Amino acid sequence: MKSYRLRVCLSLFVFMALLSGAHAFAEKPIIIGAPLSTAYLYGWDAERGIKLAVDEINAAGGVNVNDKKRPFKVEVIDTRDLEPGVPVSEALMALERLILSKKADFILGGPNRSEAALAAMSLLSKHKKISIVTSGVLTPKYHKMVAEKYEKFKYCFRIHGEAVNLIGEMIANFADLKEKHGLTKVFIMAQDVSHARGAAKVMGKVASSKGFEVTGTEIFPTGTTNFSMALLKVKKTGSQIINIWMDMPESAILLKQWYDLKIPALPFGSTLAAAEQPGFWKATEGKGQYTLCNVVNAGNAPSDATEWTMKFYNAYAKKWGVEPEGLGSSSSYMAVYVLKDAIERAGTLESDKVVTALEQTDMMGVYGRLRFDPKSHQVIAAQDPKDGAVGSILQWQDGKRVVVYPKSIAKGSIQLPPWMK
Amino acid sequence: MEILVYGTINSVSLALMGLGFAMVYGISRVPNFAHGALYIICGFVTWTLFQIVGLSYFVAIILSLCVNGILGMSMYRFVLIRVRGMSISEIIASYAIGLVILEGLRFGGFRGMTYTLPVFMEGSLMIGGVPVDYHRVVMTIIGVALVAGLWVFTHYTRIGLALQGMAQDERAAMMLGIDSDFMAMVAMGFGAVLAGVAAILILPLGNIVVESGYHVLIMSIAVCIVGGLGSWMGAFFAAFIIGYAQILTVVYIGSHFQMVVAILAIILTLILKPSGLFGQQKELEERV
Repeated sequence: MKSYRLRVCLSLFVFMALLSGAHAFAEKPIIIGAPLSTAYLYGWDAERGIKLAVDEINAAGGVNVNDKKRPFKVEVIDTRDLEPGVPVSEALMALERLILSKKADFILGGPNRSEAALAAMSLLSKHKKISIVTSGVLTPKYHKMVAEKYEKFKYCFRIHGEAVNLIGEMIANFADLKEKHGLTKVFIMAQDVSHARGAAKVMGKVASSKGFEVTGTEIFPTGTTNFSMALLKVKKTGSQIINIWMDMPESAILLKQWYDLKIPALPFGSTLAAAEQPGFWKATEGKGQYTLCNVVNAGNAPSDATEWTMKFYNAYAKKWGVEPEGLGSSSSYMAVYVLKDAIERAGTLESDKVVTALEQTDMMGVYGRLRFDPKSHQVIAAQDPKDGAVGSILQWQDGKRVVVYPKSIAKGSIQLPPWMK
Repeated sequence: MEILVYGTINSVSLALMGLGFAMVYGISRVPNFAHGALYIICGFVTWTLFQIVGLSYFVAIILSLCVNGILGMSMYRFVLIRVRGMSISEIIASYAIGLVILEGLRFGGFRGMTYTLPVFMEGSLMIGGVPVDYHRVVMTIIGVALVAGLWVFTHYTRIGLALQGMAQDERAAMMLGIDSDFMAMVAMGFGAVLAGVAAILILPLGNIVVESGYHVLIMSIAVCIVGGLGSWMGAFFAAFIIGYAQILTVVYIGSHFQMVVAILAIILTLILKPSGLFGQQKELEERV
């Protein structure tokens, strides 16, 4: 009899708990539309970051909108914009589908390719939809356009570092390499896409102005599978650093060949997707050793930037069975928290009010203090996580992704291959 | 010297990509637009057998080539046989199969840049003062040996002669008792195996990604059109023309334009000599 009563009580308890749970999310969900190139690293890492944050927020009770708890719901759509040969219009159609058919309240994530993200700005403006780009979009033009035509593009935000930040960080490392090892000759290799072409051009100018000799610049079409001649040029010109701007998978061919031919120049990449993934070491059978890459923000490689960093890192690894993989992981995760914070402060989903709230954002996150420049809506970058969003440069050392920059969060220092010493 | 060395390597690599496509079209007149997909699936099957199942690399390669051959023959036996002779339908059907394979792989989780195959030999050597890694050398030697082997096969074996008979005049071959559909099926299987061989030789240089399937298809079409549709020897020579043109473009114009070379070669061929360099049968048709 006792056990019967106990069972009834337990059943009632479970029933009430379920009922109260159902009540907690009786409110309409807030729909986050995520237009991402999901077959590519910068697409799926963003998707995973967003979903992780959404799960955490919903488990903690959801978003408080005017004293009503509302859950987030994610609608992901594949824009395919990172794939070679896919026109920008595909991404725009996908984005419009998210807004019109899926009734997305906010847009987070992409499109990932700069060209597509720039083209999407007018569409977002037309529908007055707030968008926070979190992965892939590196062109400085994005936030410049917001600053130039604020009224039109005020709905567009970017929560990760952009190409100019990345160049600054890399130049700081070049200076370090010059001082410590006497490396002064830089050869630039870039993929034929907007952000990479632009970054290569700026990098050439900045490196020259800082006393480096730019020995050559090669632009490769997306999908290039042969880098032999360019590597021989690197060797012939006596270059000591290869600055790589490529997110295409074929960059793995370049890195493997660099190792096989023992080219005496340090590969230092940005948006070097092939080398960002934790599986890179195994995939190259160790030939990834010494490769450096800028993963844009802290949290995409292990470090102790803030209290959030390893908490995020471990939660990501636990949920997805793999460590944060690409440059969009930590920023996509944080975008959801930043949006939650802004909605709660605005007390509404109304775009103009949430824009104002986002402009006033000031919170700590995975990669430091998060604030947006109120004029350009670009996240404010810094060298110290206490001051702003910090970047992260890693080097593959003995099978591990070791953060070597910035110094405030570094776990090691840059090593040179033995054939360069 | 570096132009000579890397021009040859690049050309052999293109020839490997295009041989299977050229052979299938030459014999069965079926434009196999699933060629790129067959190339990629062989890479993934080998990777699965080697990395997941734990077979030795050699056994994994042999098994995956067998799988590719069976897949190629099945494609013909169950789908393409029904649309044979209707060129547009053949293109649509084979391309659709290719899409199903490639997008199916992507849907099945084969995405990312961490799928790789090991090289046959580690390290590098100097050829005339130019550093080259061993795998590229091995790939070039096997590629040339494969072409020589194909020539011997099609000239001195019973099946090879039957395939050649089909390629020259299908109706006459049928009158001599050659089963046209069976030989077309064998050709498809053979083409699929050649796509697989190309994958096994080329993919260890980088990684296995679905998108490469489309790239391989475009390059195969380029070498076949320039070489003359239906002539696999023509495809081999065309691969050398495009391969060297690409390397010369990189050296003297810029890496930026190397992908344009293949497309430009297609356009120029179609304007100046639509039958291609060795497309004799088509040339006769054009004259008539």
